[in-house]
Amino acid sequence: MDNEDVLLKVEHLCQYFKMGPGRELKAVDDVSFEIKKGEVFGLVGESGCGKTTTGRSIIKLYDITSGDVYFKGQRICAGTRSYNNEIAALRAAFRDEKAALNQQCADEIAAGADEQTTKSKYAEQIAAASERTNAAVAEVKTRRAAAVHDQKCCDKDYAAKQVKIITEEMNARLDACSTEEERAAVRAEYKDRLRIAKRERIVNQIQMIFQDPIGSLDPRMTVRDIISEGLVIKGVRDKQYIDERVFELLERVGLVREHAGRYPHEFSGGQRQRIGIARSVIMEPELIIADEPVSALDVSIQAQVINLLNELRDNLGISVLFIAHDLSVVKYFSDRIAVMYYGKIMELATSDELFKNPMHPYTRALLSAIPLPDPIYEKKRQRIVYNPLADHDYSVDKPTMRELTEGHFVYCNEAEFERFKAELKP
Amino acid sequence: MENRETKLSVKNLKISFRTDGGKVQAVRNISFDLGRGETLAVVGESGSGKSVTSRAILGILANNAIKEGGEILYDGQDLMKISEEEFCRIRGDKIAMIFQDPLSSLNPIMRIGKQMTEAMLIKGKINQRESRRAFNATLQLLNEHMDFARGKDNAEYVAQDKQLCKNFDTFERKHLALENAYNAAHEYATEALSDIDDVLFHIEKHVTDGLLGEIKEIARRASKTLDRYVVNERAEALVSEIETLKTIIRVSPVDTGKKLVGRVIHRELKTKEIDYAAVATSLGKIKDILTEAVGKIAPNFFALGYYLTFAADPLPDMPTDALNAYLRKYLDDNYMLEFIRLAKSGIEHSAAQSLENKKKAVEVIDAIRPTFTRDAYERKDIDDAVKTLVAAVENGIDRLETVKDNVAYTFGSSIGAAVALYFDGIRRNEKEEQRYAKQKANYDRKVAEGKTPDWKVADKNLVDLEAAKTGIIALVDRIRDKYTRDVEAFEQIDFDARTVAMIDYLKDKASGVARKVTHGMAKAHAIKLMEEVGIPEPRKRFRQYPFELSGGMRQRIVIAIALSADPDILICDEPTTALDVTIQSQILELINKVKAERKLSIIFITHDLGVVANMADRVAVMYAGKIVEIGSSNDIFYDPRHPYTWALLSSMPDLDTKEKLEAIPGTPPNMIFPPKGDAFADRNKYAMQIDFEEQPPMFKVTDSHYAATWLLHPDAPKVDPPTAVTDRIARMKKAWADEETAASVDTAAFVEEPAAEKPAAKKTAKKTAAKKTATKKTAEKAVKEKTEKKGGAKRG
Repeated sequence: MDNEDVLLKVEHLCQYFKMGPGRELKAVDDVSFEIKKGEVFGLVGESGCGKTTTGRSIIKLYDITSGDVYFKGQRICAGTRSYNNEIAALRAAFRDEKAALNQQCADEIAAGADEQTTKSKYAEQIAAASERTNAAVAEVKTRRAAAVHDQKCCDKDYAAKQVKIITEEMNARLDACSTEEERAAVRAEYKDRLRIAKRERIVNQIQMIFQDPIGSLDPRMTVRDIISEGLVIKGVRDKQYIDERVFELLERVGLVREHAGRYPHEFSGGQRQRIGIARSVIMEPELIIADEPVSALDVSIQAQVINLLNELRDNLGISVLFIAHDLSVVKYFSDRIAVMYYGKIMELATSDELFKNPMHPYTRALLSAIPLPDPIYEKKRQRIVYNPLADHDYSVDKPTMRELTEGHFVYCNEAEFERFKAELKP
Repeated sequence: MENRETKLSVKNLKISFRTDGGKVQAVRNISFDLGRGETLAVVGESGSGKSVTSRAILGILANNAIKEGGEILYDGQDLMKISEEEFCRIRGDKIAMIFQDPLSSLNPIMRIGKQMTEAMLIKGKINQRESRRAFNATLQLLNEHMDFARGKDNAEYVAQDKQLCKNFDTFERKHLALENAYNAAHEYATEALSDIDDVLFHIEKHVTDGLLGEIKEIARRASKTLDRYVVNERAEALVSEIETLKTIIRVSPVDTGKKLVGRVIHRELKTKEIDYAAVATSLGKIKDILTEAVGKIAPNFFALGYYLTFAADPLPDMPTDALNAYLRKYLDDNYMLEFIRLAKSGIEHSAAQSLENKKKAVEVIDAIRPTFTRDAYERKDIDDAVKTLVAAVENGIDRLETVKDNVAYTFGSSIGAAVALYFDGIRRNEKEEQRYAKQKANYDRKVAEGKTPDWKVADKNLVDLEAAKTGIIALVDRIRDKYTRDVEAFEQIDFDARTVAMIDYLKDKASGVARKVTHGMAKAHAIKLMEEVGIPEPRKRFRQYPFELSGGMRQRIVIAIALSADPDILICDEPTTALDVTIQSQILELINKVKAERKLSIIFITHDLGVVANMADRVAVMYAGKIVEIGSSNDIFYDPRHPYTWALLSSMPDLDTKEKLEAIPGTPPNMIFPPKGDAFADRNKYAMQIDFEEQPPMFKVTDSHYAATWLLHPDAPKVDPPTAVTDRIARMKKAWADEETAASVDTAAFVEEPAAEKPAAKKTAKKTAAKKTATKKTAEKAVKEKTEKKGGAKRG
């Protein structure tokens, strides 16, 4: 896999929520995946399995507990839990070592060794161990500091980078200028671009479409205001440019210019969802996180919205993280699909492969529950019930993510892995 | 199909809403029947009037609704006409609804448990009272007719009849007491058994968290199974085993001291000390005893009740089969045959009496009918006519019929409402007239100026007088028809069957009297229902508030509440739209299961065709307030005829869809000014000239399949459905052809179903094919002629 291709990389993402003293809800637990450029990545699972939380964590609506999220090679989210655990482990190891050495020392003295020399010998050893531990801890701490910095300041860093690029570019142009008027014009342009560049945020390139088309639009703003809000916050002041962009997007999503002056309540559900899509596309994102964009819509309108998203992907090359529970839609729309269950990814494969070779029992249960418009099939359809207790025996061998065939990952242990391999259909 | 019992029938329903912009016609003249134990799926876009229809059935239309006409017949009542008080008895109890939005249908300040048990408790009391009343009234009526049949003046007979009826009452109570005790114990036993399996499974897997509560629950349930006819011989063994189990789990607290975890003082859990191996063996023994008990044959409680009440001798000691036969014979000899004979004579008498009255009623109708066909109605004349008519018709009703005759029972209220509607329409509404005059003038001015306004003027009269009049006459004609038919069919009445039905009815009502719902029972039932709809830890949830649950959980609670009332008809308004697939199919399975168990009739409103395929026996596709296609689910999915159905089917991706989805262009029409022709014509790429001019009637495709599209007219050109639809149907057909061949090799049990289906499918296929070719020929010919004349496909 080419690294250039990877747009978003999620590594060991954990998102825990506090549920009172000493209790935590592991909403997302050690999730890793990659989204390539121009790809639609489907995330499916039953409600409460953490798929929405994953999406929201990526766009920094929550502070993640542990793990990293890289966007275009830059780390945008980083949690500190894993570093803290590492430090604690190092310190515990040192404590154990110290206790062992002390014990050894006492034993030797009891056995009749010279008290002074033995003590000093062991003190040296302990000091060495302490130093080693401290060094290791310090190293982890620097990594933790970097993580904290990235989590807090990724946007600032990105803006600084943008400012630098613009400054260099404009300097070059300034040097090339001959007359004073030209210089003044370039300076004015530089000033304007610098203002926008200073506010640039990397997270803006990830946009979200929300599930509820009614709840996610401000009822007191006109459609123009709603769609252009992002641009205004970004620092664009050119009214004419904003209007042009708004009109262009309205037409792109299948509405008309006249709709710009209306309020959300004047639209039907499907049209509202289109406004939501226009709002996210105006920021020229590279990744759209679509959180159940069609679940609340009628069948015919669902088709319209899916067709629209498909067009956007084909024409603008936008990648989509498509979170949904309707598997027929996910199958139709996604290139690769990850199946989540209780905060963990159970299976990840290309959509054709997943439907052809569902390996994990949970995936099978999920696929067996899809209703199809075929009464005879429906009357015979047997739902498979997934019961983790009955289906797995993880008392000895703990499961991990394993690659079954290329690009097809399953969360299983060694015995299951062998069994899955045998069951694989070509 | 022919002899199915109709539970609910909607006829020519028309509902509009008064709004600022004018009258919105939400439902325009729809009719359908719902059979007992049948699921009717209503499919359509939002705004097509499907929710309005369901709300009309439940009597919860908004205040600005105008019931323009039509009727909803249920259990001898017209739901469009009955009062709010009468509706309170039906709503939620007989007809329950699962709403789309769970948040607005739960009370935020009541605990889940209270909301779940509330209806059961209230209903329990009311049911007892109502059943008592119905039982008494029917038995008394029967008694009277028995007297008439045998001669009213013979005092001896009268006393004898009275005694018979009284005895029925007495021993029926004994019977129910016995049976209820048995049922309760039996149910506890089955529940305990399933719990034991669950617990044993957990112990085997070494997952013992929270098992203690369940084990205690098993002990409690097992101790309630000690009924004479359930766990009898081995009762002592069971009791001692339960004691052992209790001692095993009652481990004396091990003092581990208090530990500080975080900020909370925490005591080490005592469950760790329990010896689960011993629990498992003990549970195994209990399981053996209960399995044996559950497998036993139940005695005939009806006969047993009689024996225990009236027989002087103690119950003979013999095995259950022999005992049942003995008891049955005893009952028949001493009581039942006599009672049946007399009851039958009573029923015959009642029917004969009603026959005479019906004949009279028909005469009265014939005499009065001209009053209604006059051009203008006089209030007084009409009122008098209605009064005599209603009295005559009600006399004709045979009150001892257990299946209530909708037409006759609803006649009074129907005609009253129809007449009221007419006189309402006559009354002038000054304000409306002023508005109309103003708007009309405005409109005319615009037209005179040569502009074409993009709005229309709403009519000043909300009621169409001619239609109201036709409605009244239709009602009168219908009751006349019904009565003449009844009179003709009198010879064919099977009085034996009627007598049996009457006794069943009495038994049913008696069991309603005996069924008492206590708080404990309601709670147990609620928790069981919560488990069934897939709510984990129902005991904990029972004490929570709705806001503590997620959307899916809330929806499941709403479904559980709807099912808890044990309704006759369940209306599901997009119940699973907000849920994910696993829960969705779990809930659909649950609804299907309940439907099969209780013979529930379901109206299922949804836009997900996959769900429809799973649930529906019949499907009605609605668009712009009309049913555009109705048929069995096989008809709709394998042989769709209406372009709107095609559009719906092709706009939905399935697992094999690769090509671009075909979305339906445009939006549904504005129903203030419904289009003149077919409402779907604007968005329909197959629309012909006539679609814009005239509304299509319902064309018959097969006996069960109707569609309202001009494409089915014999003169219409042949149009193929979109490829997305045909491809899918071909694919599905191929899939089951493959499966059939595979199944026929496999097992004999599997063959049965497809084999039964095959000839029927072939037959219809042949039929339709033949029809198609015929249609094609005539259509081509007709079209040729037409195109020459007018240059467009028009109805010939």
